[in-house]
Amino acid sequence: MATASVVTSEQYNYDIIRKFTIMTLVWGAVGMLVGVYIASELAFPFLNFDIPYITFGRLRPVHTGAVIFGFGGSALFATSYYVVQRTCQTRLWGGNLANFTFWGWQAVIVLAALGDVMGHSQGREYAEMEWPIDLLIEVVWVVYMAIFIGTLMNRKQPHIYVANWFYLSFILATALLHTFNNLAVPISLFSIKSYSLFSGAQDAMTQWWYGHNAVGFFLTAAFLGMMYYFVPKQAGKPVYSYRLSIVHFWALSFMYMWAGSHHLHWTAIPDWTSTLAATFSIMLLLPSWGGMINGIMTLSGAWDKLRTDPIMRFMIVALSFYGMSTFEGPMMSLKDVNALSHYTDWTVGHVHSGALGWVAMISFGSLYHLIPRLWNTQVYSLRLINVHFWLATIGVLLYITAMWISGIMQGLMWRAFDDFGNLQYSFAESVAAMHPFYAMRALGGAFFLTGMVVMCYNMYKTINQGNTEAAPVAAAA
Amino acid sequence: MSQDKAKSVSTTGHVWDENLQELTNPLPMWWVWTFYLTIIFSIIYWIMYPAWPIGTSYTKGVGNTITYTNKKVDGSEEQKTTHWNMRSKLMSEMNAHNAEQKQWFDKVAATPYEEVSKNAELMNFVNSAGKTLFSDNCAPCHQAGGVGKIGFSPNLVDDVWIYGGTYEKIQETITGGRNGMMPAFKGVLPDDKLKQVANYVLSLSGEPHDAEAAKAGDAIFHNEGGCAVCHGAEGKGNPDLGSANLTDKNWLWANVPGQSTAEGKLDEVVKLVSGGMSRGKMPVWGGRLKPEQIKVLTLYVHDSLGGGK
Repeated sequence: MATASVVTSEQYNYDIIRKFTIMTLVWGAVGMLVGVYIASELAFPFLNFDIPYITFGRLRPVHTGAVIFGFGGSALFATSYYVVQRTCQTRLWGGNLANFTFWGWQAVIVLAALGDVMGHSQGREYAEMEWPIDLLIEVVWVVYMAIFIGTLMNRKQPHIYVANWFYLSFILATALLHTFNNLAVPISLFSIKSYSLFSGAQDAMTQWWYGHNAVGFFLTAAFLGMMYYFVPKQAGKPVYSYRLSIVHFWALSFMYMWAGSHHLHWTAIPDWTSTLAATFSIMLLLPSWGGMINGIMTLSGAWDKLRTDPIMRFMIVALSFYGMSTFEGPMMSLKDVNALSHYTDWTVGHVHSGALGWVAMISFGSLYHLIPRLWNTQVYSLRLINVHFWLATIGVLLYITAMWISGIMQGLMWRAFDDFGNLQYSFAESVAAMHPFYAMRALGGAFFLTGMVVMCYNMYKTINQGNTEAAPVAAAA
Repeated sequence: MSQDKAKSVSTTGHVWDENLQELTNPLPMWWVWTFYLTIIFSIIYWIMYPAWPIGTSYTKGVGNTITYTNKKVDGSEEQKTTHWNMRSKLMSEMNAHNAEQKQWFDKVAATPYEEVSKNAELMNFVNSAGKTLFSDNCAPCHQAGGVGKIGFSPNLVDDVWIYGGTYEKIQETITGGRNGMMPAFKGVLPDDKLKQVANYVLSLSGEPHDAEAAKAGDAIFHNEGGCAVCHGAEGKGNPDLGSANLTDKNWLWANVPGQSTAEGKLDEVVKLVSGGMSRGKMPVWGGRLKPEQIKVLTLYVHDSLGGGK
């Protein structure tokens, strides 16, 4: 073992992975804390305290930015740098450029949060950052792409492992999405205010082409890449089907790009775009499930480990939530279902069953696998991983149950007519009816956040007992 | 070729990172067939609905039309039949509900206020339509149930009416809006006299006050200050001007009931008299709501909220 760690620490750049891993934990805790706070503001509006900087409208993009790009993004940087090095058996290409991606990306998250709080926003969901930050993201991303492709090209393996296909498609698609969604003209060279190059329905469709595919490639394809490495590693089993991984990879990559307009059903977009978006979402169901099937079937035969290995539990629950939310999504994209679900909390619940249930859970599982290996040690407490698992699972369930009830109730109240043909409820009545479920959602979020804090403590202790220096050669001999 | 012994399915022969391998299992057949099924579903959807762009046009969908009544700019109506599209679908649904509502709105519009108010069936409609109209349009200021808020908007549930509480007056208020104001007296009257007037105003509704100051205030109210011009010699206000009755213990702009001490109450009135008030703005609803909707709201406010007189 000691000789192995000498080799790995010389062969691979682990330092950059450690940095991104630590920031994953930090942004996870910060982003989820902000999430719980704004959820509480919705239930108890006095929590605004009439301070503009902490109102829901400004803190919401801080929450989404910190969890998607801070927590999710850092997790993807860390795991992709780890996976690409280990499966290509080569050191990360580009030397110090990797450090640039770290500091550049952290700067993006901090600047974006400051901009949001100060009230600077492009008004584009998940892309609120104004143009100077967008340019910084562009540079960081191109360097990231160069490092990843450079490393792939230096590989000492004839074939590229499946996880790397997914990471690469995520990096390519994100570059494309970020560039076109943020085409904007600053009002002057020294102003951070800018206006979109697109207008009206085209602007909306560009926004949701971006928004949906950010979910598709950032939050789905990339985390499938994570799944394809860490699930077989943790289970000690081969991937169930090579063929399935190829077919669902290409089907997913081809179809996702068509589906964004389903976020704009029943608005001023052309009808045909709406239909195409709905049908491609339906056709996306099985390609999405391909990843779930491959993951779950890889675990089959290792079911006994579920009883003893809480890391495995995170992974299987993540795959289950992935399967459930990729079933729910196509259903909600049908025009008639969407007529009920659109603009309600059902959408919010759907997003979080994907974000908490899939993205966060698979990241937790992967990080618990990764961190002891990065610091040459054992996990400080398996028991605490188990505590985290239950806190997170109860949290997600509370959250999505609350949002399902609240969302469907909202949708039904908004469309209810009485015997005279009058709307039966006013909007304010539907808001009042949502209150208990908003409180329940905040509670679910608090459970999830507590789990995250438990993880931070557990990993802090793990890292503290770890050792990043290569074991002395003398000791190995 | 290595073998997975448990299942005897072979791997692709590649190994990454010490032990990562892939089995050569075929695609699960249920997966393949369900995937085909979603494609067939989509093709049917494309045939029925607008789907594929062709040049500057697009496929319109087959055998799936919507008929609705369109109101033209000149007010005339026409029947339109088009291929399925989101706007026409909305229009046809709106047509259906509007038709249901219209017969009731027409009846209310054609019946005098007093008769509607005695007709239980029509009042059922007024309560149903009025509640939603009120909640969506009026409640943001007048609060849920019309209870109002001191310093912000009048209470519509009590018996106090600044501009009159008859059907005609309420309808006039909703249709044309109101613009309530009171001039500022700071500079017009010196500070000590402002205090004396305020003491007099408090005395009108039996609030704690300095009797001597109130007596001096009485004179200012009726002469030098000119308060009586709007509020009347007895301070009972004038609905035609929208000037408040100062004797009814009902406070809107000065939060006298919210103050527990005599100084606090006096201070509230002094603030109002010296600074004046320009917040008494009720928006114009004529043009935004239809006349029959305003009539329903008038009935709702007068009869159902219980404050009409």
